[in-house]
Amino acid sequence: MGVNAVRLRVRSGTALSLVSLAGLAAFCWPLLVTPGARIGQSAFAPWMFVLLLPLLLAVALAEIAEGGIDAKAIALLGVLGAVGAALRPLGTNVAGFEPMFFVLVHGGRVLGRGFGYLLGAVAMFASALITAGVGPWLPYQILGAAWVGFFAGCLPRARGRTEIAMLAAYGAVAAFAYGWLQNLGLWPFVGGMASSISYHPGAPLADNLGRFVAFNLATSLGFDLPRAIFTAILVAVTGRPVLLALRRAARRAAFEAPAGFDDRSD
Amino acid sequence: MRRRLHPGAWWLWALGLATAATRTTNPLLLLLVGAVTGTVVAACRSDDPWARAYGMFLRIGLVVVVVRLVFGAVFAAQAPGTTLFTLPSVTLPSWLAGVRVGGPVTAEGLAVAGYDALRLATVLICVGAANALAAPSRLLKSVPGALYEVGVAVVVAMTFAPQAVTHVRQVRDAQRLRGRSDRGIRALRRLAMPVLEGALDRSVQLAAAMDARGYGRTAAVPRARRRATAALVLGGLLAVCAGLYGLLDGQAPAALGAPMLVSGSVCAAAGLWLGGRRSPRTRYRPDPWALPEWVTGGSGLLAATAMTVTGLLGADGLRPAPGSAPGLPPLPAAGVLIALAPALLRGIRT
Repeated sequence: MGVNAVRLRVRSGTALSLVSLAGLAAFCWPLLVTPGARIGQSAFAPWMFVLLLPLLLAVALAEIAEGGIDAKAIALLGVLGAVGAALRPLGTNVAGFEPMFFVLVHGGRVLGRGFGYLLGAVAMFASALITAGVGPWLPYQILGAAWVGFFAGCLPRARGRTEIAMLAAYGAVAAFAYGWLQNLGLWPFVGGMASSISYHPGAPLADNLGRFVAFNLATSLGFDLPRAIFTAILVAVTGRPVLLALRRAARRAAFEAPAGFDDRSD
Repeated sequence: MRRRLHPGAWWLWALGLATAATRTTNPLLLLLVGAVTGTVVAACRSDDPWARAYGMFLRIGLVVVVVRLVFGAVFAAQAPGTTLFTLPSVTLPSWLAGVRVGGPVTAEGLAVAGYDALRLATVLICVGAANALAAPSRLLKSVPGALYEVGVAVVVAMTFAPQAVTHVRQVRDAQRLRGRSDRGIRALRRLAMPVLEGALDRSVQLAAAMDARGYGRTAAVPRARRRATAALVLGGLLAVCAGLYGLLDGQAPAALGAPMLVSGSVCAAAGLWLGGRRSPRTRYRPDPWALPEWVTGGSGLLAATAMTVTGLLGADGLRPAPGSAPGLPPLPAAGVLIALAPALLRGIRT
């Protein structure tokens, strides 16, 4: 429940869906690839996606901006992106604490899914510029964070405690899914690990899926689970005041108020 | 009055140094990078308010090192090696196998955490140097047209952080003047909410200022070009998706794979370029890009290249084993020292 600070039109929505489809392929291709496909044997395959994703992201962001984004949305995007980016170095990779997500969840919830998508991308990009995060993993992280913000804007109507509970549950699910997707994106790069859990090109889906789950359990379930719990707690604790503050700002900015000149000259 | 360097040159220089820093965990090299940025900032900085950003980023870097060391000791204890001291340990259930709290803290474990933290701090210091040297408002001009709005948002995000720090200090001073304690969870909340509210208020003010100056306005795009852009972008994206399908499915015809993907990418890039025409912006007093800019940006890129090449050649010294004394590999060190060029340039030009 909230305003739509950045409207998604048919064209930008279509572009966003296509980019998300290609992005999903960039994450999940090790599981999707069928026996006999040439990409499975190529060592260049993961890098192809690393090169492709920035272009796709640039197209998606340009299309959303083309569909209509005003100065108020840009300013809010910048400020909330700065808050998210500033929070990121406080987290540590050790146990996967990621304080940035609560900004994306609340921002996407109050200001709409188009805004949430942009917020995830801007916050992740700005935080990568500030921390030592610029690398081949950055496009994957930007896409993941953009999805977190987007789907937060798609949640159904709710009020009061129900809303906070729903957001906390969503935060937990989103943080967990984000961790799994990042692992899936990382998986083909990690070749030198124990062979029982690394990616086998061209093997049947069930085999690779089993190996991936084992890889995920071995490397990061201990990170994913605390991160999901931590995100849910943070969303629940900050929920009321932050949602109020954001709604007040959105109301003051008057996003959906039509503005224009009156034709009457008399 | 001496002309200011193009902000892009400073960012290129700083990002080159930051890239060099991300390629290594050798503390000597990292400290060398920090010293080089400090020298250049001391030689080239102006009297503008953002020139103080360097000291702030230096302090943030110190905080990062301390926090990471503490977390490394508490969460990542029990690494193999020489035990320094033992923390009381809590064994979490087996389904939380990734998290260990407490236990023996080893010198090697602390060294790994410390090197990693020092790398992060060095990158922060490089970014701080760019913040101190490059005028952020001038960087707004250099974003490509199609990403203009998002670029503005990123620049706002990058420049807002120092203001937020100032605001935190003001709110804390105000709380102290009222005789309230500034410690504890409740004080943190008393501090955080005014800062967030102030940030949101300032964003509305910023938006009004931007609106008044015509930001976010787009040119009237002819219908034909608008349609061409849409066709290029959507067609290109469709082709990319089809190409990915062709690459992933072994039974798909070969023509559906790589050729489709490449042509789709080219179409999407063309659409991006054509879409950029909707924000035709003239530049008021454009920053020239001349020899000093080439030297500055190039020196940063050389530092990054030297470090990357050393890493690709597999030479030792970039990632010293914890527990042994790190050496100073000559090629990366020379590359980092080249990045002193802007300071020397400044000396020659005065």
